Amino acid sequence: MRVGQNPAKSIESVPQPQKVTIAVVSYIPFLSGYYAQALDVLKACLESLWAHTAEPHDLLVFDNASCPEVRTYLQEAHQQGRIQYLVLSQHNVGKGGAWNFIFQAAPGAFIAYADSDILFRLGWLESSLAILQAFPQAGMVTGRPMRTPEKFYNQTLDWARQAGDVQVENGSFIPWEVYREHVLSLGTGEEQARQWYDSRSDWRLTRQGVSAMIGAAHFQFTARKAALAQFLPFKMDRPMGQVRSLDEQMNAAGYLRLATLEPLVKHMGNQLEPGVGPQTTSARRPARLLDLPFIKKALLRLYDTIFRLYHSP
Amino acid sequence: MRTGTNPAKTGIPAYTPQELGVALIVYIPFTTGYFQNSLEILKYQIESLRATTPQKFDLLVFDNSSCPQAVAELQALQARKWVDWLILSQHNMGKAGAWNWILAAMPNPLICYADSDVLFRPGWLAASLEVLGAFPRAGMVSAQPNFFDVMKGEGQAHRALLGDPAFELQDYWPAREIIDEYCLGIGASDEVAAPFYTQPLPSLQNKDQKAQAVLGASHMQFIIPRAVARQVTPLPATKGLLRAETMSLDYKIDSLGYLHLSTTRPYVFHMGNTVNARLIQELSAITGETHASEVHPEQPARRRSWLLKLLARLAGSPRFQPHMLRAYNLLFHALYDENRVK
Repeated sequence: MRVGQNPAKSIESVPQPQKVTIAVVSYIPFLSGYYAQALDVLKACLESLWAHTAEPHDLLVFDNASCPEVRTYLQEAHQQGRIQYLVLSQHNVGKGGAWNFIFQAAPGAFIAYADSDILFRLGWLESSLAILQAFPQAGMVTGRPMRTPEKFYNQTLDWARQAGDVQVENGSFIPWEVYREHVLSLGTGEEQARQWYDSRSDWRLTRQGVSAMIGAAHFQFTARKAALAQFLPFKMDRPMGQVRSLDEQMNAAGYLRLATLEPLVKHMGNQLEPGVGPQTTSARRPARLLDLPFIKKALLRLYDTIFRLYHSP
Repeated sequence: MRTGTNPAKTGIPAYTPQELGVALIVYIPFTTGYFQNSLEILKYQIESLRATTPQKFDLLVFDNSSCPQAVAELQALQARKWVDWLILSQHNMGKAGAWNWILAAMPNPLICYADSDVLFRPGWLAASLEVLGAFPRAGMVSAQPNFFDVMKGEGQAHRALLGDPAFELQDYWPAREIIDEYCLGIGASDEVAAPFYTQPLPSLQNKDQKAQAVLGASHMQFIIPRAVARQVTPLPATKGLLRAETMSLDYKIDSLGYLHLSTTRPYVFHMGNTVNARLIQELSAITGETHASEVHPEQPARRRSWLLKLLARLAGSPRFQPHMLRAYNLLFHALYDENRVK
């Protein structure tokens, strides 16, 4: 039976979610082979996120049944107040399954999604949000320019050509080094990358003084939660390979698929490059007098005594 | 850069959620005072759930910013594979805030919600499903007769069935022991309990299927089809545990034309925050395991210091009581203040 009143009833207010929920999905089943450096990559991902995101946000990490070392790291980060929501799944529900969960549960009106091997640079979120604001029809905005297949953005181009207030430009706007950085990170050879670069061009849109490149990718993007909701649930019977349907469905539904002009995020893959690695910055809350163990213990004892005075038989 | 192929892309299957998903919200900010037995009670709940649920299910636990001991216990339960999804929230999102996660995102076609102090008895699922199947547009079904109508008779959804000759509105008089148990579970005073013995509960009967259900459902425990759950979020969530916010679930369900119903017999029991011999005895009967060692033996009364004696006298004084309770709440807020107790 219930004895006394649940103190939760006296909580006057609870923290309200931030406008933006940043969501990262991790899946590192072991720390060898393909995943030998994956924990360091994850640390680099989250450290860069904490260091380079000024916009208020909540961070949600969905761990898809990773190994104990990864879980320990994530739990420590959660205890330090650096991860607001940590979802620990006992099973690998796949990227689609994790998306189904995140995109429905994330409390923010905007969701910034990233795989766990993305490096964030200063201004990535602000630039992505600025594009979403300037282009209300924008479905997803990736934090770096890329050259993606036209079938994933033809609706964006059709819309831009018909819109009266959008400047549309075609040309080679992505510098070779920026293009190369991304394509090589996917495991493509230098020669192939150069060949692709020389044979393709870019589309740049400008509206209300904000420019964006055409083309987005599902490894990292920022979107309105309401827009994502229209494509749920995703098929989720395989761990990976089914999330491309988001790109296709967004394009088919007429949502714009855009990217920032600058490379504000970087795909690291499963290998860390020299100079990129876990930092040891700490964002712990400042200590208070109440955090002193003997004071806390005394207050807890007083609290317990009052409870017992009223509710002990 | 990426080297090699991600093994996850090799076509191995992802986990397929079970038909039934059970979700609990846990809030144990510390393990003294009101919450001193909460961890133990949570374990009893999960044991009873596992023992009485005849089909496989996924268990989701939403931790609403509990203390490290509670979180460690939840992690240990997940390590034992008892918890499929463990959500750790840095902040207390309130009950409605946690519902917003659970009801919006649980992937299972049938969702069961329970507070973290509910004992499950054999037959809870079958009885709930029977009600769900017997009444069209049943949206929320509790496995315990609902004694407290949060909508105060304003619910409209059941009226759609009243013109149908297959359904009939009836008075239901629960047995005295059912009322006794309900009152015990909520710690009802004699004044609060009295009307339950003198007033019938409104119930709905499906004459063809000879099924009966009490009108109304409880926030303490209920099942809800995923398709209904997805329509009711987001709920307003600004307080820790405010009835007006949790009630918005009822109003949304009713306004969508779905029924709140409950079983005529109690298949769940509100354990609250105390452990006693009766509870342990029932738990042992349910799980088939002896919990006798966990019964708290009667402690000999400790000799009280003069200060404690004085406090006890003051605590009983009507003049002093409001100040004492204010101090109690102040301490709670100071100690809890967004995980400071960690």
